[in-house]
Amino acid sequence: MCTPAAAGRGRVRLNVGGRVFETTADTLASAGRDTMLGAMLDASWNVPGAEAEYFIDRDPACFAVLLDLLRTGGLHLPAHIPEAVLCREALYYGLLDRVRAARWGEFDGDRLRLAASVPGRAPGDGAAVRAAPDGGCCVAHGGAVRVYNWMLEERRPVHLGHAPVNDAAYLDAATLLVAAREGTGSSRHSGGGVAAFSALTGELRHRFRVAHDRQPRPFTPGALAFDDQHSKIFASCKGRLNEYGVAAWDATTSEQTDFFYEPPACALGDADGLQWLDGTSTLMAATMFPRADSSFVSLLDFRGRSVAWSWSDVGTPASLEDKHAVHAIAMEDGWSVCVVNQYDDLGFLDLRSNAGGVRWRSGSKLMGRKKVRAEESCYPKLATHGGQLFASTTTGAISVFSGPDHALTSTLRASDGGGVCDLSIGGDRLFALHNEENVFDVWETPPLPII
Amino acid sequence: MNSQRKRIPKIEPFKHRVEVDPKFFDKSWKKLDDAIREIYNHNASGLSFEELYRTAYNLVLNKHGGKLYDKLTENLKGHLKEMGKLVEAAQGGLFLEDLQRRWADHIKASQMIRDILMYMDRTFIPTSKKTPVFELGLELWRDIVVRSPKIQGRLLDTLLELIHRERMGEIINRGLMRNTTKMLMELGSSVYKDEFERPFLEASASFYSGESQQFIECCDCGEYLKKAERRLAEELERVTQYMDSKTADKIANVVDKEMLSNHMQRLILMENSGLVNMLIDDKHEDLTRMNDLFKRVPDGHSTIRSVMTNHVKETGKTLVTDPERLRDPVDFVQRLLNEKDKYDEIVSVSFSNDKAFQNALNSSFEYFINLNNRSPEFISLYIDDKLRKGVKGANEEDIETVLDKVMMLFRYLQEKDVFEKYYKQHLAKRLLSGKTSSDEAERSMLVKLKTECGYQFTSKLEGMFTDMKTSHDTMQSFHAARSGNTDGPTISVQILTTGSWPTQPCATCNLPPEILDICEKFRAYYLGTHNGRRLTWQTNMGNTDIKATFGSRKHELNVSTYQMCVLMLFNSDDGLTYKDIEQATAIPHVDLKRCLQSLACVKGKNVLRKEPMSKDISESDTFFFNDKFTSKLVKVKIGTVVAQKETEPEKQETRHRVEEDRKPQVEAAIVRIMKSRRVLDHNSVVTEVTKQLQSRFLPNPVVIKKRIESLIEREFLERDKTDRKLYRYLA
Repeated sequence: MCTPAAAGRGRVRLNVGGRVFETTADTLASAGRDTMLGAMLDASWNVPGAEAEYFIDRDPACFAVLLDLLRTGGLHLPAHIPEAVLCREALYYGLLDRVRAARWGEFDGDRLRLAASVPGRAPGDGAAVRAAPDGGCCVAHGGAVRVYNWMLEERRPVHLGHAPVNDAAYLDAATLLVAAREGTGSSRHSGGGVAAFSALTGELRHRFRVAHDRQPRPFTPGALAFDDQHSKIFASCKGRLNEYGVAAWDATTSEQTDFFYEPPACALGDADGLQWLDGTSTLMAATMFPRADSSFVSLLDFRGRSVAWSWSDVGTPASLEDKHAVHAIAMEDGWSVCVVNQYDDLGFLDLRSNAGGVRWRSGSKLMGRKKVRAEESCYPKLATHGGQLFASTTTGAISVFSGPDHALTSTLRASDGGGVCDLSIGGDRLFALHNEENVFDVWETPPLPII
Repeated sequence: MNSQRKRIPKIEPFKHRVEVDPKFFDKSWKKLDDAIREIYNHNASGLSFEELYRTAYNLVLNKHGGKLYDKLTENLKGHLKEMGKLVEAAQGGLFLEDLQRRWADHIKASQMIRDILMYMDRTFIPTSKKTPVFELGLELWRDIVVRSPKIQGRLLDTLLELIHRERMGEIINRGLMRNTTKMLMELGSSVYKDEFERPFLEASASFYSGESQQFIECCDCGEYLKKAERRLAEELERVTQYMDSKTADKIANVVDKEMLSNHMQRLILMENSGLVNMLIDDKHEDLTRMNDLFKRVPDGHSTIRSVMTNHVKETGKTLVTDPERLRDPVDFVQRLLNEKDKYDEIVSVSFSNDKAFQNALNSSFEYFINLNNRSPEFISLYIDDKLRKGVKGANEEDIETVLDKVMMLFRYLQEKDVFEKYYKQHLAKRLLSGKTSSDEAERSMLVKLKTECGYQFTSKLEGMFTDMKTSHDTMQSFHAARSGNTDGPTISVQILTTGSWPTQPCATCNLPPEILDICEKFRAYYLGTHNGRRLTWQTNMGNTDIKATFGSRKHELNVSTYQMCVLMLFNSDDGLTYKDIEQATAIPHVDLKRCLQSLACVKGKNVLRKEPMSKDISESDTFFFNDKFTSKLVKVKIGTVVAQKETEPEKQETRHRVEEDRKPQVEAAIVRIMKSRRVLDHNSVVTEVTKQLQSRFLPNPVVIKKRIESLIEREFLERDKTDRKLYRYLA
């Protein structure tokens, strides 16, 4: 079938594991020069005019899928090929990125579909789920952080002497920050602190120290935040000798650059949420009701070591007493903060004025108010992405709000794993960690239909 | 799904472990090792890529990644050491070419090795944080070849030698240079900097330091700058040809420093060819070059500017203080304008209209124009000259441009109020003698002054124009009222508002009865139409046309009112003494003398004969009607001997009046300031007053002090009881 003349016009014959495929050099070259197929066809590996057929000692069924991917850009996986096998083959050819890109499209909160539900290893105690920039994620619970790649295969878990983990954060797809509580025994300093791990291998890369007056001191970190622009790492810290505040490290040198000591009447060391705001170059620190008696949000300016803005619900009238903000997130526009209370009501704080209180959204009850359970262990959480606001509810659903007035546009409900205790968006995926069984759901946006 | 997903990757390594051959690694590696050798020997055609790729894949899959990587490093080192030796052995001129060829080989080989080990690059390298294969090849090339003791120095020397030869005019192989520097850049920006850029900049610095020394000894400034400009262009061109573009700024800095910075003072101040000579000779091209070159150098522009400023100030100063020049005000101002034009052109052509240069120029002009306190008068005279007759032949746009230019000079004046005084006088003369040649030009000048100094400045001048207009209307209606009654002389009266015009106190002279009659008629008419006004005749300003008969020759004489009065006397008498005339006309002594002088002593216009004949008028002279008067013209204009320029006493007088006028202005300013501030110390008052009045004149602090004292006397202000330096405003 393949005449030399036809081959000369760019036709290529491949024998993969005994099955012959015919395609064009252009199709194979579209894989890129830095892939196995691209290299194989490169002039440096071929004598001009010779050899019209290549042999590849791999599984033909998977190759058919991948060739189809190169031809159409779409991924269609027949039922009899396990996804993991396809991924392994894609890795062999160097096409794994293409497979990932074809799997799910650009994130859109209103078009999410449930991609997977991954069961947890240990019941209860799930602290946080964090999305990795490449579509993987990690789940902190108990004394370890479980790390998953984007294929949701579990990597080696990460731990800091199995000390209880308070927070985790991705610096990049390959580096994971973990904040763990300091061990209770006075002799054991090794347990707690902040450390960077390789997300790929689970190796400990660096431990971040906090020094006061040049004396290294043990501390318990609360929340973590990362400033991309200046590559700074922040952690709220409680020192053993009442050195409360927020520590800052340089992410490239790993050296401590600053320590923002807690001013009076500011609960910085207890902060359970830190967020870097690019627009104002400030760090938002939120200390919320379950942890402290009152809720407290402030913007810290490290350049002047000043509190640029702050809000607290201390002294709010009794009628609003039951409205305790339990989670806060700075909106993407950079001038407001969204808060949520234990009844799933949303409220907003204006960062441009210092005096205003929370504007609770009237009638924003996501799911009609129900009686709060006595031993509430799971509170609503918020996340933002691409102008949309995501709020988890204690009933286990996630509400998606869009537009400038934050109208409810979608509700996501999946596993019956109890209430959602944390959610995170990244790598074009949304991860929701459920309270019971530690099961987490993965939501992604399917590629747009062609017509 | 889940169970499947977990099972497969777990089982695979297990299967391999069972089948594992103890010599599996060594066998596989041998295959790769052989292949790499073939690649370096340009003999890759016999290799099967798929097989090699699969071999490397299996090694990594079986956890031999680390071992594979170590073996590879070792292997590459071996190959590169060999290559290094061959490069070292290259003969003289072939050294660079050999290095290039081997570098190309190595890059090609590294690419192919990377192809084989691609799977390791993707999986093992990121998790173990090692250098990827291709980059490893670059690093080893850098350490083993480029930085080998026998190559490093030789490479640098060769490059610098070639560049030196190119600077001396030889043609070198630029392609080879480009490839070599490109190689250094590919090895990392620090390699390029350490191995080439830094030493190159040092060598260039010493080259240009020597060359500039040589040039400055034998070239004049213009020539030197031409050479420097060419060198700079050459260096930048060299960078685009075969260096990293980031080097451009650095080498430019070196040239700037060595050729320009280090010799800046000497070049700019160079005798007979420096900046001053360029300015004098209008060498626009050289000036442009100097400006362009020295703006690259710190303080370059400011040095040029200060030298230029000094030069302009000096030449300006000699111009305005030269007594020769003061004789002709029009020429004086014309020279200033020419000077201004000259430098404006230099700034616009050569200094790209730089704001700082414009400001420097303005401040220098301001400096020297105000050195001569007659400048306001002269500028006004110049305008007078232009508006009086300049328009004839010249079109409106021309006069506009002239006026615009004069306005530039006007802006420099500190004593704008003095100018206003003179301008008013000159305008009055122009208007009254009907010598304004273009009403439009006059108006346009007025608008310019208004935009420059505000409404207050021109209100009186505008009043003068209004008076002229109303006078014209009044005269028309007057003539209409007595139409039919046409015998006797006609009269044209200009009614001037007191205060708007520069009036001189003057005694009215005795008008001849014929004139007096019609004057009275006009007075009756005017006062009849306007209530509560007073008319005073300004006989010193008018002029008359009279018909005179000399023998049989009829002439029309255009004379001033005074002269008319004198001539009318000769209707009844043929000879009159000075005393007679003075008595009959009551013309003031000085004016009479002047008027008689113009009637009797000017050749060709001597309608009167004087006895005894002499140039000057004395009180004992007698005058006769000169019936022998002849003239080619029917109309004879007998001018008054008027000094165009003010005489010394007149000047003093004007000065005095200006000073007087300033007093109320200073006082008003003080009161305005004190009213808003309530309490202020002396120095601040002086500063603020100066600031407020700056647009009109520069008040003298002594004057301000005197005015303050006067205001204290009149109880507008008081001194603070405790601090004598503080003033308080008394409401």
